[in-house]
Amino acid sequence: MKLSKTLKIIIAIVVVAVLLIGCGSSQYNGMVPSEEKVTTAWSNVENQYQRRADLIPNLVSTVKGYAAHEENTFKEVVEARAKATQVTIDPTNMTPEKLKEFQAAQGELGSALGKLIAISENYPELKANQNFLELQAQLEGTENRINEARRLYNEAAQDYNVTIRQFPGVIFARLFGFQTKTKFEAAEGAQNAPKVEF
Amino acid sequence: MKRLLFPLLFIICLLLSPAARATVWTAENLPMVHLQDARRYVCNPDCVLSASAVDSIDAILYRLEQTKGVETIVVVVKQVADGDCYTLGMNLARKYGVGNKEQNSGLIVILSTEDRRYYILTGTGMEGTLPDAICKRIETRVMVPRLKEGDWDGAMTEGIKAINSYIEGDESLKAMEKDDDLDVGISGLILLVAFIFLFAFLLTYANMSHCPKCGKRAYRRTAEKYLYTRDGWDYFQVVTACYKCGYSTSKIVRRRHEDDDDGLLTGAVLGSMMGRGSSGWSGGGFGGGSFGGGSFGGGGAGGGF
Repeated sequence: MKLSKTLKIIIAIVVVAVLLIGCGSSQYNGMVPSEEKVTTAWSNVENQYQRRADLIPNLVSTVKGYAAHEENTFKEVVEARAKATQVTIDPTNMTPEKLKEFQAAQGELGSALGKLIAISENYPELKANQNFLELQAQLEGTENRINEARRLYNEAAQDYNVTIRQFPGVIFARLFGFQTKTKFEAAEGAQNAPKVEF
Repeated sequence: MKRLLFPLLFIICLLLSPAARATVWTAENLPMVHLQDARRYVCNPDCVLSASAVDSIDAILYRLEQTKGVETIVVVVKQVADGDCYTLGMNLARKYGVGNKEQNSGLIVILSTEDRRYYILTGTGMEGTLPDAICKRIETRVMVPRLKEGDWDGAMTEGIKAINSYIEGDESLKAMEKDDDLDVGISGLILLVAFIFLFAFLLTYANMSHCPKCGKRAYRRTAEKYLYTRDGWDYFQVVTACYKCGYSTSKIVRRRHEDDDDGLLTGAVLGSMMGRGSSGWSGGGFGGGSFGGGSFGGGGAGGGF
């Protein structure tokens, strides 16, 4: 049996195409869930930051009841909160600059909150108030949740980045337009956490 | 110099040995009692709590797991790494996956007496039942007053009771479908019975010899009757038969009076094995527990006293 030259070429092309499509689709199908995980992890991060923002009105009004003349601190917290809630990021379109902006806004709110908690040290009655204690516990819990959510996001982003940067995935990632995700910088996170100074 | 070396080394070893100082516990070195025994939840390696307090906490938590599917670890130690109960709790949660996977209903309560810190950590599915504020309330109202007096037993039992009452009030939590204990129990029983059968079979097989008539390995002692004792000898009538061809013989054998006879020995061995099996069964009968792989998101509250 003798095949013509063109037929041989066609068969070769078909085989290569089938291989490419097979390989490509399996690569693609591996990247989609990985990217979805990053998106989910990111929305969890935003949720936890939102949760912190939601605590603030209650916290401010409780502190106001005992320390009415700390106007500056209240103003700072409220402004920082307004600013922080405005900065949101679309996880599919995340750039290092945007993440930096997000982190800066949240960090500002964090340090404003730190000051708010710190002034309670000057008001023994406030410090002993059960409502304030519980709000403070909620705030601490939320800070922990934020850290945990950020950690999980970083893990998911790392998994995803590894997937799309390894060979042969990198070829298809370029082809299909998968981009690396930016991770949180740990140092800045540590700086953001509200610290109670004595 | 050489003479000094050994005593010196010995002293250095003593100083370095863990017995010489209190262990600083981390998620890596903390023994997880629940994995050994499904009915135990309290890790109390430094014996800070009394046995009765541990028992009553275990009882509450066992019921909680059965009725509400809440998996708990209670850690009461003298020192934790960096004095940070939260980190220890999160590491334990990650390492063992405390809480079942559907409900994420894990709970970790940690008290470090020398660090004077405590923490209640809630799994992601428990945050609605035990919000941070409620954890804090339990801590400040129930636990801290007792902790300040050094009443570790009281603080932990009352704290766990308070947590228990909050969880019992939550209708949304359901018991786990899978009953770990029963599973382990039944499979253990089957294994034991199978083992006994295998053992008995091997014994009978070992006792069989080749039949002088048909040559099959089916020739065994079928009956043995004690006849009399004379001059320090026991006389028996022994019937040996082949169960393949039916060929049988009967003969009188004598054995030293004080000697144990084969059959009796066999019985004794088998009996003792069964005895050991069954005592193991009732003693440590409940197999090790397991954790369901639930996740923790950092919820809960803690503090110092």
